[in-house]
Amino acid sequence: MVAFRSTETSGRTTGLLLRCVLYCLLALGLIIFDKRYDHLGDLRRFLSVVVVPVQIAVASPFQGWDWFRESVSSRETLRADKAKLEAELRLANFRLQRYEALEAESQRLRALRENTAGVSNRFVIGNIMDLDIDAFRERVLVDKGARDGVFVGQAVLDSGGVFGQVARVGELTSEVILVSDGTHAIPVQINRNGLRTIAVGTGDMTRLKLPYLSTSADVTAGDLLVTSGLGGGFPAGYPVGTIIGVKRDPAQSLAEVEVRPAAALDRSREVMFVWLTPEARATLSAPPPASVPQPAAAPPQGRRSAAAPAQQNGAPTK
Amino acid sequence: MMRDEPARRLPMALSALVALALSVMPLPAPVDAFRPDFLVLVVFYWSIESPRTGGLALAFASGLALDVIRGVVLGQHALALTLMAAWATNLRLRLRVFSVLSQSLTIFALLTGYQFVLFWIDGATGNPVTTFSRWLAPVIGACIWPLLAGLMSRVDDR
Repeated sequence: MVAFRSTETSGRTTGLLLRCVLYCLLALGLIIFDKRYDHLGDLRRFLSVVVVPVQIAVASPFQGWDWFRESVSSRETLRADKAKLEAELRLANFRLQRYEALEAESQRLRALRENTAGVSNRFVIGNIMDLDIDAFRERVLVDKGARDGVFVGQAVLDSGGVFGQVARVGELTSEVILVSDGTHAIPVQINRNGLRTIAVGTGDMTRLKLPYLSTSADVTAGDLLVTSGLGGGFPAGYPVGTIIGVKRDPAQSLAEVEVRPAAALDRSREVMFVWLTPEARATLSAPPPASVPQPAAAPPQGRRSAAAPAQQNGAPTK
Repeated sequence: MMRDEPARRLPMALSALVALALSVMPLPAPVDAFRPDFLVLVVFYWSIESPRTGGLALAFASGLALDVIRGVVLGQHALALTLMAAWATNLRLRLRVFSVLSQSLTIFALLTGYQFVLFWIDGATGNPVTTFSRWLAPVIGACIWPLLAGLMSRVDDR
């Protein structure tokens, strides 16, 4: 039996009901103002700075442990790491050789078509804070905020591909919603044939799905998905994932397509915030569907997949 | 063991901070689903132990901190925690003479009510979270309540 020793007795909590009602009204007021009128941005920014010490205090022991493990790791491990990184660098350099030329060529072609989608001019690296902010939603906290120019809806990449987008901005920190969150959708294109559709999160960090493809759509396991740049949120041409399974049930009109995200959603420590050039943003904010680059090889697709990017805009479907 | 009110504020704030840290501490995924709502339990403890000092103000402030940290609509956790802390305060004289089992069951009811208010506001603001695991936290919380309350009153006596 738990012993409560306090001598405070019932007579002393007079006005409990009144105080409860007052606090509840205050909370309800906050909810309504925050949700309906969006007036509490400044209050939230201020509060988010107040909780930063707690967040740092929780995250730092884990970072300290990582640092400690790194500093005592053996010479062999470091040599092995170095060899691996050198091999990766060599490979990356091979791939980069033609990049400059291709980039210039792509710019020329884009200029011809008056389409600057996917041109980004500024990157900022952010570190993911080691915190578990919500058990039911796929979100992470990153140590860059409004002070660094981060804004809501900004695209976030990691070294593998598209990581997510900024859901909320504090003064010093920002909250990033992962592409795998159940409420997140991103306009994508199949790299092989240009088929456009939407990739939706599943709540599972290792899987996305493409719910708007008809059973006759030309997709196979192994196809690479890249951002289409429609909707204006994400720069075009960054890898989103690889198709790992296509299930076609003749009784259904839509296929079930599973995708493995390209970004290391559960392992990344550093992410990159992307700023699009103003011209790119202007082009993307009002994209008439007809002027969208439509590869000649694109197979017939359902009306749904053509209409969906415009509706969803790649934003969290709140 | 009567103490004046300001002297109680410090342990109250400290325990709330520790509980807040525990509730955002990164845990390996399999264990993560079984994490109880530490801060809620601590607020319940103080609502029962000394409602006059902390009580609803503590509940409201803790809820607001959770709102900001979890990045949900402001006031969600604050509303749920205030309501349930008021209920706990109302029940506290009975709770003190309950057996361990009855206490845990009452705490389970309070935690379920808390989750329900959260669930309802999630739905009302258009972010429904329908995973079943959200209803696991009240069970775990009720199970560790005797341990936590015992530990806290032990530390508080010092």
